[in-house]
Amino acid sequence: MQINKKTNLKAWKRAQEIGPNKILKILDKKGLVGRGGAAFPTARKWGFAKDAKADRKFVICNADEGEPGTFKDKSIFQNNGETIVEGILIAAYTVGAKRCFVYLRGEYEYLRKKFEKQIKDVLKKAKTDITIEVVRGAGAYVCGEETAIIQSIMGYRGQSQYKPPYPPVEGLWGKPTVVNNVETLTCAAQALIFDDWDPNLRLFSVSGNVTKPGVYELPLGVSMKKLVEIVQPKNKLKAMSFGCFGGIMPIDYDMIINNETICKEDCSHGAYTIILIDEKQNIVDICLSIARFYTYESCGKCTPCREGTIRLLNLLKKVKKGQATKKDLKIMDEFARHIQETSLCGLGQTAGNHIITALEHFPKDFEVFRHEN
Amino acid sequence: MITREYEETKHILLNILKETQDKHGYLSEKVMKEISVKYKVPLARLYGIATFYMMLKTKQQGKYVIEICSSPSCVLNDSNTIENTLRKELGIDTGETTKNKKFTLIKTSCIGCCNEAPAMLVNGKPYTKLTSEKIKNTIKKLKNAN
Repeated sequence: MQINKKTNLKAWKRAQEIGPNKILKILDKKGLVGRGGAAFPTARKWGFAKDAKADRKFVICNADEGEPGTFKDKSIFQNNGETIVEGILIAAYTVGAKRCFVYLRGEYEYLRKKFEKQIKDVLKKAKTDITIEVVRGAGAYVCGEETAIIQSIMGYRGQSQYKPPYPPVEGLWGKPTVVNNVETLTCAAQALIFDDWDPNLRLFSVSGNVTKPGVYELPLGVSMKKLVEIVQPKNKLKAMSFGCFGGIMPIDYDMIINNETICKEDCSHGAYTIILIDEKQNIVDICLSIARFYTYESCGKCTPCREGTIRLLNLLKKVKKGQATKKDLKIMDEFARHIQETSLCGLGQTAGNHIITALEHFPKDFEVFRHEN
Repeated sequence: MITREYEETKHILLNILKETQDKHGYLSEKVMKEISVKYKVPLARLYGIATFYMMLKTKQQGKYVIEICSSPSCVLNDSNTIENTLRKELGIDTGETTKNKKFTLIKTSCIGCCNEAPAMLVNGKPYTKLTSEKIKNTIKKLKNAN
């Protein structure tokens, strides 16, 4: 796998030889984009922070991988921790930051000790005065969002903030801050020194009713048919989900997987998470799991998200009990759309997708439970 | 534009709270007051943080905190049965602590073990590819441990 190739401090050395401007040029030419889901060009993000005038700047490595079904960053920690550190150093050097943070999700606490040792070792070998601290996340999905992560590190509740100002201009403690995903930073180090580095390779986290779940590195544009062949479903497949935010769609073997097909028009997510669901499952059960997730993880700032996700969960419980009427299903759909339209951040804006898509594509699964009226 | 009052700090409050919790098991009023004085942070703000994050606890937990994953990948691999087995073996409902304060059972969002579902964390350590048999053995071992 390309992502597991070690850079062994060669990328760090090259970065210092060529200087910030050339680093940005190379990353731009190689086409590195953010791997957390938003696909924003990394060189541009770093460029904003580099050009911002400030006495202090910061770099945050976003290791708060929380989207259900996503476990690609964990695999990078397990296989190539040193290169993550090198990527952070290069980002810091390019923008002029001295203090860096790795926001490690609380559920990955067991990875921390080994990674802290890798940080120590790499920093020692790199002979730099840049520091890297691990911030121990404490189980808040919303902290994967860049403004929420910043609030969290500053010692506040991890609630999303209005943008602009964007973090590269005004972030941590009001100073220019680069927030990048683990995979992005690893790729930045690799792209700098490997001539054959391929920007089209992505990490796919595949799970669900399959016999070979796991992290696979595949090129963008791979077909769903090919992917399904690799992971070998246990039974005939019925549905697919690209993480909770993406809703639940009927399985489409002809689908070509790339940013546009996963995210449709203006969705800013998509870390290539694929959950495959077979015909033995009832979609209402999956909806219940997703609805529960949103009620847990809503940060509480926007009322429609805070209250609406609870209502959706209660309505789904009603469906499952066989007490829901036709009107209840209609209300569910309306609630879901209302939450989407009136929430500030991506969490609320996607909190109803599973309901809307499930009602549209799998009405029979709801009918099984439905009350006569 | 809103004036930003944030000033860079050396100490990361979240890490301090987590380290304190590691030591005491939970964030009691007493330790929160100590942190408040030591780091000059209002107690109300500390409580705001402690109650925001799922993993920070203001009430005493069991010696073993079991977090069963309830995300789609685990549900698809029958985590509901696993959760029922856990309830039965521990004699408590999800969200409760046993009377002897040995076990707390919690439902959690995705723990990133989707390729080894169903999965749970016991005091932060992952237990994967769970079956009811495995659960019974694990609980038995933990019950006998000190």
